[in-house]
Amino acid sequence: MRCREFKHIAAPLTLWELSRPRDEQVLDHADKCSKCGGWLDRQQMLAATMQTLQARTAGREAGPHVERALLRMFRQVPFEAMQPVAAHRSAPIAWRLSRFFEVGTYVAVAAAIVVGLFLGVRLLEQHSETVPVQSRSAPANTAPAQVTQATGNATQKEIASSHKPHAMAAKRDLALHPVSQSGSTRQPSPAAASQSGDDSEPEYVALMFCDPLSCSSDAQVVRMELPAAAATSDRDVQPLVADVVVGYDGVVRAMRIVE
Amino acid sequence: MLNLTDEQLLAQALAGDEDAFTVLYRRRQGPVFRFALHMSGSSHVAEEVTQDVFVFLLQRGRDFDPSRGALGAYLFGVARNFVRRALERNYSEAMLHSPADDEAQALVTEDDPADGIARHQTSTALWKAVLSLPQHYREVVVLCDLQELSYAQAAEALGCAIGTIRSRLHRAHDMLGKKLQHSAAAAPGGVSRVTARCAS
Repeated sequence: MRCREFKHIAAPLTLWELSRPRDEQVLDHADKCSKCGGWLDRQQMLAATMQTLQARTAGREAGPHVERALLRMFRQVPFEAMQPVAAHRSAPIAWRLSRFFEVGTYVAVAAAIVVGLFLGVRLLEQHSETVPVQSRSAPANTAPAQVTQATGNATQKEIASSHKPHAMAAKRDLALHPVSQSGSTRQPSPAAASQSGDDSEPEYVALMFCDPLSCSSDAQVVRMELPAAAATSDRDVQPLVADVVVGYDGVVRAMRIVE
Repeated sequence: MLNLTDEQLLAQALAGDEDAFTVLYRRRQGPVFRFALHMSGSSHVAEEVTQDVFVFLLQRGRDFDPSRGALGAYLFGVARNFVRRALERNYSEAMLHSPADDEAQALVTEDDPADGIARHQTSTALWKAVLSLPQHYREVVVLCDLQELSYAQAAEALGCAIGTIRSRLHRAHDMLGKKLQHSAAAAPGGVSRVTARCAS
């Protein structure tokens, strides 16, 4: 037998099998080979010492207090409650999480209510600011119409209905070419200027002192007939058709003589 | 009750049968205690581990699957984990608590004091050598050599292949043999006595 064969046979053997080898070939090779013999001696010495250690500790057991403690725990704790340990441990965590989300939901709802109230109050404030303006502008818008009704033959309603396309075109013109007013009198339009150039005593409808008008301001353009008969002695003269820009407060800001 | 298998006793114990639990504990606490004692070298740690193992069995016993192995191997596996935790927690304490001191009382009961001293010294040297082994080598030595488990049972307990157990054990034996030689050479008289025992 060679050392390789010796290792091949001896290596799988347990320590107890090596302590009393029965294979004659193994024993013969251990006697002849000092290296393998030394290895076998070490294993045998180890087995013998291991047996001694095993015998020393063979009778060792846990003390009776361990058994008493375990039985005490077994009796004290209701056994059904010991089974779902994981469930009992996880239940408080889930409860805490649910409580956390519950409180978070309450906080979110309360915050939404507060924000809603704030926005509502703001909207109400803005609404209350715009309503007086409209209430002020409503009667003022009727003032020129009353003037028209008083001075003209047609009512403002009729004028507005008959000249509605013209009024819309005039409003577009007003948007494209905003009227600039810096004084109490308004500069006449080229058409009016040509017309006034033709008349011997041209007169203009006096406008009140007002603020400059811009495109973004809330204004209306009303086409109306101006009582030209009041400005001339000729009773047969046709009334002038003019575009009147009425501001949000009902004050006439600008006027253009159309024809 | 004593004729019941470990698995049957466990089932009854988990149903609340205290007698079944007592029988199971008395049947299995010795190997678990000795495994922990050999692994840690401390009877205090061994008792703590034994208690923890059976508390674990009560709490998580339903996780045990008999088709995957015997209850004994399962308990060794649980004990192995608790020993590791205990050693990490009480490493310095366990190392200071020498097996020689732990077993001092056993030496007094020997019939032949001289023979008892020699055997005690040799076995204490071996125990210290076992304790100095790396954890995975120590486990296979304790299970296979001291607890006399088969390779298959040790593989079940440690959750590895039989070949791994065999190779680890072979390597551990080589390491232990060298350590014992060194300790025997350092202790005068120890070599001749051990050699004489092996020769006989």
